[in-house]
Amino acid sequence: MTNNPPESIEDIAASVAETVGATRHSSDLGTVKVYIDRVRWREAVTAARDDAGLSFFSWLSAVDWTNDVAVGDPPAEEVEERYEVMCAVSNTTDGQIVILSADLPKDDPVIESISSVYPGANWHERETAEMFEITFAGHPNLVKLYLTSDFVGHPLKKSYGLISREVKPWPGDVDVEDMPDSAASDSPSFENPDA
Amino acid sequence: MLDRSALHHLSEAAVAIELETPDMTLNIGPQHPSTHGVLRLVAKVDGEKVYDVQPVVGYMHRGYEKISEVRTYPQIITLINRIEWVSGYANEIPFLVATERIMGVEAPPRAQYIRLILTEMTRLSSHLMFMGSYPLELGAATPLMFALRERERVLDLIESVTGGRFHPNFNRIGGVKPVAGAGPSQKKASQDLPAGFLQETRRAMDQVLSTSDEIEDLIAGNEVLLARTKGVGILPAEVALAYGVSGPNLRASGVDFDLRKKADYLPYDELDFETAVTETGDCWDRWWVRLVEIRESAKMIKQAVDQIPSGPLQAKVPRVIKVPKGETYVRAENPKGEMGYHVISEGGQIPYRVKIRSASFNNISILPHILEGILIPDIVAIMGSLDFVLGDVDR
Amino acid sequence: MSDLLANFWILLALKLVAIGALVPVTALVIGYAELKISAHMQSRIGPYFAGGRWGWAQLIADGIKFFQKEDIIPEEADRQVFKWAPALVLLSTVALFVVIPFSPTLIVQDLDLGVFYVLAISSVSTIGVLMAGWSSANKYSLMGGLRAAGQLIAYELPLLLAVVGVIIQAGTMSLVGIVEAQASFEVFGTIAVPYVAVQFVGFLVFMTAALAELNRIPFDLPVAESELVMGFVTEYSGFRFLFFFLGEYANMFSMSAIASTLFLGGYHFPGLNAEIWGPVVLTVKILALAFLMIWFRWTFPRLREDQLQKFAWKWLIPVSLANIAVTGIFKVVM
Repeated sequence: MTNNPPESIEDIAASVAETVGATRHSSDLGTVKVYIDRVRWREAVTAARDDAGLSFFSWLSAVDWTNDVAVGDPPAEEVEERYEVMCAVSNTTDGQIVILSADLPKDDPVIESISSVYPGANWHERETAEMFEITFAGHPNLVKLYLTSDFVGHPLKKSYGLISREVKPWPGDVDVEDMPDSAASDSPSFENPDA
Repeated sequence: MLDRSALHHLSEAAVAIELETPDMTLNIGPQHPSTHGVLRLVAKVDGEKVYDVQPVVGYMHRGYEKISEVRTYPQIITLINRIEWVSGYANEIPFLVATERIMGVEAPPRAQYIRLILTEMTRLSSHLMFMGSYPLELGAATPLMFALRERERVLDLIESVTGGRFHPNFNRIGGVKPVAGAGPSQKKASQDLPAGFLQETRRAMDQVLSTSDEIEDLIAGNEVLLARTKGVGILPAEVALAYGVSGPNLRASGVDFDLRKKADYLPYDELDFETAVTETGDCWDRWWVRLVEIRESAKMIKQAVDQIPSGPLQAKVPRVIKVPKGETYVRAENPKGEMGYHVISEGGQIPYRVKIRSASFNNISILPHILEGILIPDIVAIMGSLDFVLGDVDR
Repeated sequence: MSDLLANFWILLALKLVAIGALVPVTALVIGYAELKISAHMQSRIGPYFAGGRWGWAQLIADGIKFFQKEDIIPEEADRQVFKWAPALVLLSTVALFVVIPFSPTLIVQDLDLGVFYVLAISSVSTIGVLMAGWSSANKYSLMGGLRAAGQLIAYELPLLLAVVGVIIQAGTMSLVGIVEAQASFEVFGTIAVPYVAVQFVGFLVFMTAALAELNRIPFDLPVAESELVMGFVTEYSGFRFLFFFLGEYANMFSMSAIASTLFLGGYHFPGLNAEIWGPVVLTVKILALAFLMIWFRWTFPRLREDQLQKFAWKWLIPVSLANIAVTGIFKVVM
């Protein structure tokens, strides 16, 4: 894949999507993202490396999409309950990074391991597996990476609460919750007058 | 008279006897002088020879990604500062840019230049630390002091602008922190940087440049150090790419990949600088690339100081940061390599998910590959040359 | 008075006291020199407050501190061996002081086989190191001890071979005899020159091998703190650690003394009365060599085990053998 400068980011996304066989693609906010059916995950990642020239493996992780969250704010609109596995790979010629994304149903969070395609994905998959309870089929050594082997739970799931936060509200909350409306008048302005 | 064939037979027999030498498992770390913190290497060794190394990480896992889901954006900026504490300031930039991108604001040019100057100073501080600590790991203690002395100048400069040395907490979404007491009463926009900062910076950068020559003399001419680093721990380019090794480690392997040139997050395109790339990818090259980067950074800072535009420091952003729905990945060239944040916002004050891509994590995932079939002293030489920070690995 | 000195036992007791005092003093002096010199090499100040001026009492304070520390012996350690290892290291150091001639008469005992004695005794400390490494029941200590043993085997040979040239030239193995031979050794005309002028290669080899014997950078692999934590001393604490520490610095002194005696003319300096000025002359020479060692330490990184062995077997030993051959030929021809 050779990127000529005039090529817009939308065209790049379309061309990568075509090469890897993506179902759809987006390029919002300058981030190229292509969506792949999870059964074609490994095949698509291989194509990204070999045919799209995305030889640099950046990262792999997941997002727990759910409407019922134990911590933080729930999504603004209703989302489909699923895991989204994302893998960011880039080329080294112009630094274009592409995020490959695949959706996993909550009741069957299994996806093929890509650690044979990008060996660097090995640790990322281990991390994702322990944090989200996603199984990477064909991974050579899918044991916990950060957590101790007897650790119970999958911390980055949205259903996993932060216990200390439930026991004692974080003092910083005050700053968040009380100030919004009173910001206007007497508090010192941090806006630059020239702005 | 002895029979020759019998003698021959005897010598054969002596060779054939093999002593049973069970392998020793050596736990290097988590408390060990050369692991930069709490990395543990489970090494299978046969005498001095290492034939299998498994890194064990996670002793310092602080769960930043989880905490980010319950903190507001400005709070996260303070938090992520601590991911990689040697270059704390540079950690903030990609997150800020990602947030600003989703919000649709852009920091004013002057703020961007200040960010750039401080980022490069952080790079200097990080690389100078490496210049000193790497020879120390090989047994030479003196370069450390020379490097730290220079690092002090850089930290002093950072302190004079931000008030902090390691964790400045100077960035704001949409710009940088205005000086205390600024506001409507502020008349001149140039009150942000302390008086004399630009001159002082020019002088300090000249000092850094001359010390970089001194360090080069001290280390590059040292036969023992060359013997310890040349040809040791060679990392081929395709392996480095497949593992996601980035930053100076990747460039030492011959890949011209510098996000300052290839990603758009700070006005690096307005500066004239070169990317250091070497061919072999051994420990020596990794050291050399960083030395060249020190020089380039010092030159960049001098250019930026000359070119810095005047103007506001802060784009117009609401008092309470609310980020609209959107998702983006922004990455930056940190001193250690590619640092990036994939920020997913579902609207509101708190991000839905922040994926932190830290450089050292990928950089040390190469260890099992690169530490095979070497000698124990080379573990230290290779680990040191990768220049990782455990906070950056464990996040 | 002279009767008193003639009594063997009183004399022996006096000599023992003298040596017993000399060993810690030399260790303190060289240790302090190392602190200060390294500080100035690294643009630091070094110890400053202890003792009121220039931090002269820093190491004394350190020593007192070590005595206050708990003496920890690891559970799994071989207790007897563990306890005696530091003593053995210090003992070999003390025993070296016996044959150092500070002047023609100021010497505990001039042995006819003085050089032989020095070389034999100096390697005893390595046995102490090996004992320490083995008995600590710690993998790092064990590796440190084994590295020390490997180093001993590799570097004892060049050390020995380097001295052979001197012995050939002097025709004696007595240390006083060697100094006297240098005092009357003239190459060009009338001024006596030390053997370093003709045995320069031997001197270099000897100093290199001595550095290795002393486990000093660039040959400090047995302790190699960035690899083996602290090598064979990892498990030692309190006064046992102090023993190693004393041993290290006192050994620097004694090795430098031997080198000065063999190659630099010992207590002799042209034009000075050796009986009066001998100790001063020797001390100056020793301190000069010790400075050299300190300088090396703060300049070089350490070698790798295989490089260390290669250096000994492929460079030092052939060079010292050639040196012997050349010296022998000259001795016969001239």
